Amino acid sequence: MTTDAYTLEFPRENVPASTSRSPAVVMLCSVSYALAVSVSDSLPALVLASVLPLMLVVSGKFTHSHLLKLNALNAVMTLTLALTWPEFRGGLIMGMLIALRMNMIYVAFSSFVLPLGTSGVYSALVSLGIPEKLRVLILLTLRGIHIMHGRFSAALVSVRLRAPGLRGLAKLRVFAYITASVLIQSSERSENMVRSVKCRGGFRGFMQSESVGLSSRDAAMIAGFMFYVAGVMVLNYA
Amino acid sequence: MHISEGILSGSVLVAGWAGSIAGISYGLKKTEPDKIVRTALISSAFFLASLVNVRFGPSSTHLTLIAPMGLILGQAVFPAVFVALLLQALLFHFGGLAVLGANTFAMAFPALMTHIMFGRAVREGTGKFRVMVFSFMAGALAVIMGALIAGALLGLTDRNFLGAVKLLVIAHIPLAVIEGAVTLFLVSWLKRVMPEFLS
Repeated sequence: MTTDAYTLEFPRENVPASTSRSPAVVMLCSVSYALAVSVSDSLPALVLASVLPLMLVVSGKFTHSHLLKLNALNAVMTLTLALTWPEFRGGLIMGMLIALRMNMIYVAFSSFVLPLGTSGVYSALVSLGIPEKLRVLILLTLRGIHIMHGRFSAALVSVRLRAPGLRGLAKLRVFAYITASVLIQSSERSENMVRSVKCRGGFRGFMQSESVGLSSRDAAMIAGFMFYVAGVMVLNYA
Repeated sequence: MHISEGILSGSVLVAGWAGSIAGISYGLKKTEPDKIVRTALISSAFFLASLVNVRFGPSSTHLTLIAPMGLILGQAVFPAVFVALLLQALLFHFGGLAVLGANTFAMAFPALMTHIMFGRAVREGTGKFRVMVFSFMAGALAVIMGALIAGALLGLTDRNFLGAVKLLVIAHIPLAVIEGAVTLFLVSWLKRVMPEFLS
């Protein structure tokens, strides 16, 4: 266990695996599955909905250590619901139902959406007709995270070396000052970036990613998913 | 403050998306193309600040920094929060895609309210004590408002969640005090070093 006043937890993005499926189709199918699972509360619907994540786990397409952490949190959440629900048993059942749904959605999301990577998700946003301003914002925020990460880490290391025993309000004050100075640096950097973008001809042509057309595999995936999700919904409301 | 997948009902998920889409559209309309880069880099700095694990005794916490985002980004806060949460879902697996709309609304709406309620007082306030009080209130109220919205979404899903919602709001009170203090220090520093940054 670390004893540092601050630690910056920064993820390393997975290199997206090449996929022959359209990212937009993959995202749409995942979201429709998540919505169908979220509204399911009957046993037959949940059994049918659990077929997909079970197949993904059995086929070895899902390998993620986060599931353990997720279920540790689920156990706390279930206990909290059991204690705060009007009836203990009702809360326990609701907690377990939520945990089951969360696991199913998580397995599907991790198996389908996460392998797309940010570039795949970006390509999906292009295909789905998301406004250009929002897409530029996503790209530049991601770029900004990588740029500012170095500066933020350096500031935190500096604090660790100069004042290792920070406590109480002093710790919050130093954190606020670091954040404020990184914000000013980010603003200055953005002015340079705007000048650079303008020199290159503005945002026109900034986007290089193009909408990916639908293949027969994509059409089959949409049809299969719609049939599956419709089955879950029919069983839920039957 | 993230609500995980599988908790909210279908109608609440749809309502969350509707509220967020309205806020994102309004924010994008009000943001000039030249300001997109500034918004992106500032929101990436906030994203990183929210990843810092600040230790308090035996436990530690991540700060949300909702109020400073609202005070600095103003009307562009909805798209900025949406992008930050989307990247958190993709990079950290926090939240999810179906619940992204509800989470965006629960965090961006308090930030926008902070901008409307305290933005002018913090920007143009002359008295040091006055600005400090408003900054603290902005930071603390934004967290409580966020917890109340998350609680309302849970309550609309099922009334039996209300017991857990009370616990959720109470658990956010210490965080509200911490966020209030951080907002106070951050705004005071910016007012001293670069006051135009807040405008």
